[in-house]
Amino acid sequence: MSRIRTKIVAAGATLSLVVGGLGAVALAAPAAAASLPKCPVNALAKATKPVEITFWHGMNRSLEETLIAITDEFNASQSDVKVKLVNQIGYRETFDKFKAGLTTGELPDVVQLEDTATQQAIDTQAFVPAQSCIKADKYDTSDFVPRVLKRYTVEKVLWPMPFNVSNPVFLYDKAAFRLAGLDPNDPPSTLAEVTAAAEKIKATGQYESGFGLKLDPWYLEQWSSKADELYVNKENGRAGRATKVAFNDKSGRQIFTWMNDMVKSGLALTNSAEGNSAFDNLLGIRSKKVAMSIDTSATLGTISQVLTSGEAGGVELGVAPMPTPSANNKGGVLVGGAALYIVKQSSPAKQAAVWKYMKFLDEPETQATWAAGTGYVPLRESSVDLPQVQQLWAETPGYKVAYDQLLTGVDDAATQGPVIGAFQDVRDAVLAAEQEMFTQGKSPKAALKSAEKAANKAMQEYNSRVGR
Amino acid sequence: MISRQRRAREMSLAYFLLLPSLAIFALFVFYPFFKNFYLGLFRTPPFPGLPKTYVGFDQYSEVLSSSEFLNSLKTTIAFAIMTVPTGIVLGLGLAVLAHRQLRGVGIYRTIFSSTVATSVAVASVIFGTLFNPVVGLLPWLGIDPRPPILDNPDLALPAVAIVTIWQTLGLTFILMSSGLQTIPEDLYEAARVDGATPTRRFWQVTLPLLSPTIFFAVVVGSIFAFQTFGQIDLLTQGGPLKRTNVLTYFIVTSLRQQNNDGKAAVLAVALFSITLVLTLIQVRVLERRVHYA
Amino acid sequence: MPEPAPTESVLPAKANRGEHSLARRLLRYGLLTVLAFIIVFPLYITVVNSLLTPQQITSRPPTFFPKDPQWDSYSRAWNVGNMSKYLVNSAIVTAIITVGQVCTAILAAYAFAFLVFPLKRTIFAVFLATLMVPFEITIITNLTTISDLGWYNSYQGLAVPFLATGFGAFLLRQAFLQVPHDLRDAAALDGYGHFRFMTRVAVPLARPAVAALAVFAFLGAWNQYLWPLLVTEDDKYRTVQIGLKQLSRNSIDQVNVTLAGVVIAALPLVILLLVFQKQLVRGLTAGAVKG
Repeated sequence: MSRIRTKIVAAGATLSLVVGGLGAVALAAPAAAASLPKCPVNALAKATKPVEITFWHGMNRSLEETLIAITDEFNASQSDVKVKLVNQIGYRETFDKFKAGLTTGELPDVVQLEDTATQQAIDTQAFVPAQSCIKADKYDTSDFVPRVLKRYTVEKVLWPMPFNVSNPVFLYDKAAFRLAGLDPNDPPSTLAEVTAAAEKIKATGQYESGFGLKLDPWYLEQWSSKADELYVNKENGRAGRATKVAFNDKSGRQIFTWMNDMVKSGLALTNSAEGNSAFDNLLGIRSKKVAMSIDTSATLGTISQVLTSGEAGGVELGVAPMPTPSANNKGGVLVGGAALYIVKQSSPAKQAAVWKYMKFLDEPETQATWAAGTGYVPLRESSVDLPQVQQLWAETPGYKVAYDQLLTGVDDAATQGPVIGAFQDVRDAVLAAEQEMFTQGKSPKAALKSAEKAANKAMQEYNSRVGR
Repeated sequence: MISRQRRAREMSLAYFLLLPSLAIFALFVFYPFFKNFYLGLFRTPPFPGLPKTYVGFDQYSEVLSSSEFLNSLKTTIAFAIMTVPTGIVLGLGLAVLAHRQLRGVGIYRTIFSSTVATSVAVASVIFGTLFNPVVGLLPWLGIDPRPPILDNPDLALPAVAIVTIWQTLGLTFILMSSGLQTIPEDLYEAARVDGATPTRRFWQVTLPLLSPTIFFAVVVGSIFAFQTFGQIDLLTQGGPLKRTNVLTYFIVTSLRQQNNDGKAAVLAVALFSITLVLTLIQVRVLERRVHYA
Repeated sequence: MPEPAPTESVLPAKANRGEHSLARRLLRYGLLTVLAFIIVFPLYITVVNSLLTPQQITSRPPTFFPKDPQWDSYSRAWNVGNMSKYLVNSAIVTAIITVGQVCTAILAAYAFAFLVFPLKRTIFAVFLATLMVPFEITIITNLTTISDLGWYNSYQGLAVPFLATGFGAFLLRQAFLQVPHDLRDAAALDGYGHFRFMTRVAVPLARPAVAALAVFAFLGAWNQYLWPLLVTEDDKYRTVQIGLKQLSRNSIDQVNVTLAGVVIAALPLVILLLVFQKQLVRGLTAGAVKG
């Protein structure tokens, strides 16, 4: 019996190697235009060492502490490159500062930008794509979690190197489930099941409502991906510049209708995604306003600590995969987080230095330490076998949920996620639609339609100014 | 009789005294402003390096006739109306109330001016916490609207107005107090001897002599009200449903989020012009009533 | 004309003390206290919350007085927020800007109030106009200018664009205009030149306004956020408001730490206020201008 199993495993391994290999070849293949900036990987050899590079990032707290530790390790381990970290407070501030620097010339050598900034990053024409470095250095990317690389690949070119990865997970109060007669180890896996659970929880009378719904357009993007639906046209902007949104379809209406029903029937409470209410959906679990919510795995570290501590013994927090719109959805969650871009303005030696640093950051060992210190999902598959990750998952199984979600569901254009130039404007359009639906009584269908209209207008406006 | 020589000397002295200020203004205020005005004539790309297209005043008419601009203008004016008169009346009232020889009045004066120690950011953090439905105190006091105050389309702008009034109260109080102190004691004595009631003394002595200060507060207060940005950025981000999208926030969104320098330039010129016209009107209409020594 | 009955006076007068009944005095104190309470409450609750644990802040009924003050929120805010360095930077930049603004404003206001010269009204309008230019659109151009001057990431870069103020010139002009004409004529007769008149007569008489301007300039400079963020490269020159924003990002689950940072950032201003409070109160008794 074991021989057959071995054969199957071997076949499976060979197959994945082939697929992985093909994938790596596809990635390493020359991209669309031959006009892509080249990556001078050999420039480091001839330069006077150490080459100093500046890294603008938006990490805070334990994230920053871990980044500092990792960077110190890198600086100490070799004498070619010295990295100087500069904290720019947050993703948006970092990008704002970078954009200002495009005019003044004050730029770093490597910068961390959010996943939604991809199209804009490309349009700045200020970066050397990681693809060029991969090609020049013959770098093997087969060990990377495929969806992570695909998230940042546009028209077959990988622009940044991914660094920190997160995705949405479902959080719930196990005690609430027990009280409501639900199985705390069998959390809802579809939106319909969430509704049913919310009804039961609210009926206990101990909770003001069932579900904490953050007013964040990000959720529409995630649920569309789960439903294996495109968010914008042109293969989610991956096959060409996206010009229109694609979420005003049956799937989008289903999602909007669900949100509307939940809020109108009092089964869900809403909170803003900005300002100091941004995590009320999670903090509300502790104050028994809600018993379930969905949020990014990146908060698991701080939030679970907050929720599970406290005088009353805290909350028994359960973490599960994000529920999907319908039971038969084949999609998966989107990769969230940020990635690192090589700045073109820097000298060839500095660009090579940045590439060396980025390779270090994405090594399995480093990613394991990074994951253990921050709760971000390691983007190397071999990282999960390392002790840091194993220990992390043993202590907080919720993190494993986030990792597994990246390997669940098909990897296609829908789960690659949308690439939009006017991303923030599109999000504003969706947010306005949600607010109109919840506070002005607009129907889900009409709300979605006005979101589509506003979003398309914004996209066309942006595209026309880029000259395409 | 002033000799021509003296006049010329006075003139050069005046320009000499004005030079430092004007130099700074020229380099850091007017140069950027005119550069921006020029920028409004172009459809600008999101990033430098891509070409910009000359469209002349088309962009001006397009942006200034858009519904988003008109909504923003309406919001800005509403905000100014909510904050400026209220703030001045409150500041003046407090200053008058505390402007006396009472035992311990110094403590009250310190408290009334204490909000001066708060920046816009600090005040926003403080009130943001107070308004927050989970950690804030207002829900406990029974004020718990759904949606919560700062997410509520009808309550968001008044809420931000309250934060602004509170934050500027200390400053207005100090301003009014310093103005009250320049009113000589003997004028009140004379009025009292004449048998004037306190109310009459207020209207006939205090108010006229305080009018330069009040005039200043109205003009500058309006200008600053139109420039409000920080509280909106920290508390409501222009929402919900663009109900707090004042012009400055609209400008910053065009700049930072849409990377549209051209549109932002048009909006900035509009904001400047509106403020200028308003100030000119105020100066014309109000300064006539101001009583200088 | 009948003797005016003892009534509540709106104006300060030592003579009135005897006229006040106890009831009226209590009413006044009561009113003052209620108003003071309303105004200071947000600040008070901030200080209280900064000394509680996060759980205590969210518990109901709320805690209005910390029985077990958690001072470690302050040490956290100090360390995590890098407050010592940021406070020093803020102090230096704010001092430069305050001195600069007071000086340029005094000079300009003097010209507007006491001198006759062509284009006076136009130039005054220009000064006022500087207040109407939205700050945000000047940023990029100013950044480029500062960068070209080589002042990126320096104290000069932080301070120089703000050394002049239309607000200050306007404020002091109003104050200077209230100097009585006969005083000016007397000074002229005594042979006072402009400089002497400015320093010996005008500025001392306008002291409350100058003090108010200094306070305002200090505040404005101390509370700047966006410009310091963009014109500094790293921690060496960053100011206290940036530290506060960093702190609030770092402590979303620890409101008490953020609020402790708020208190630390506001403390120098409170001290300043107490110091200048004496200035303003002294003006109360000075009052009349003797001819």
